[in-house]
Amino acid sequence: MAGELESCKPLSGLLSGLAQDAFYGHPGITEELLRSQLYPDVPIEEFRPFQAKMRGILKSIASADMDFNQLEAFLTAQTKKQGGITSDQAAVISKFWKSHKTKIRESLMNQSRWDSGLRGLSWRVDGKSQSRHSAEIHTPVAIMELEIGKSGQGILRQDTIHGNNMEL
Amino acid sequence: QLIDFQWKLGMAVSSDSCRSLKYPYVAVMLKVADHSGQVKNKSFEMTIPQFQNFYRQFKEIAAIIETV
Repeated sequence: MAGELESCKPLSGLLSGLAQDAFYGHPGITEELLRSQLYPDVPIEEFRPFQAKMRGILKSIASADMDFNQLEAFLTAQTKKQGGITSDQAAVISKFWKSHKTKIRESLMNQSRWDSGLRGLSWRVDGKSQSRHSAEIHTPVAIMELEIGKSGQGILRQDTIHGNNMEL
Repeated sequence: QLIDFQWKLGMAVSSDSCRSLKYPYVAVMLKVADHSGQVKNKSFEMTIPQFQNFYRQFKEIAAIIETV
């Protein structure tokens, strides 16, 4: 059974699944799903600590935003640990991090943004000739539509900026 | 109507999900008055690339408004 867990082919898939769950917030990626898809012959009691170990390693790497030197040092240390990983597994993890690092980092940055973001911006410049409230003739006006909201929502605001007051 | 525009350049150093975040951002606070004169605050955050686009748009507006 241990041989199954050491095999490297499904490890890449496991890391992907763990990343989907831990970093991208994809729902429904359960332990059982990962086991049945990737390690169908491994019993759950063995799979559980194994995937926990891999998840822990992945989280440590992402949390420290490791560069490649740090990654090599970290993974080497993991291979030397009691109950750690094999050097083949270290190679798979290294390859995974190198190709997913940017995307995972972006996802973590988004997770730490709690304020609304600017989701869209459009604008128009009007040459106003007359206004109900003022007698100004020909005052250029910039009208901006900012879409401000948290991911998954959108709130439209309209702001009017008078041309004469604009200084950049 | 835009009453005030405040900004802040921040650097997120660390968070519970990522110890080494190192993420710069621009936070903006707009004070906007509606037709009745009621003033509301609107705040939002931009990544640096988003801010650069934001700034480019404003420059374009400024250039066009000069010509109108």
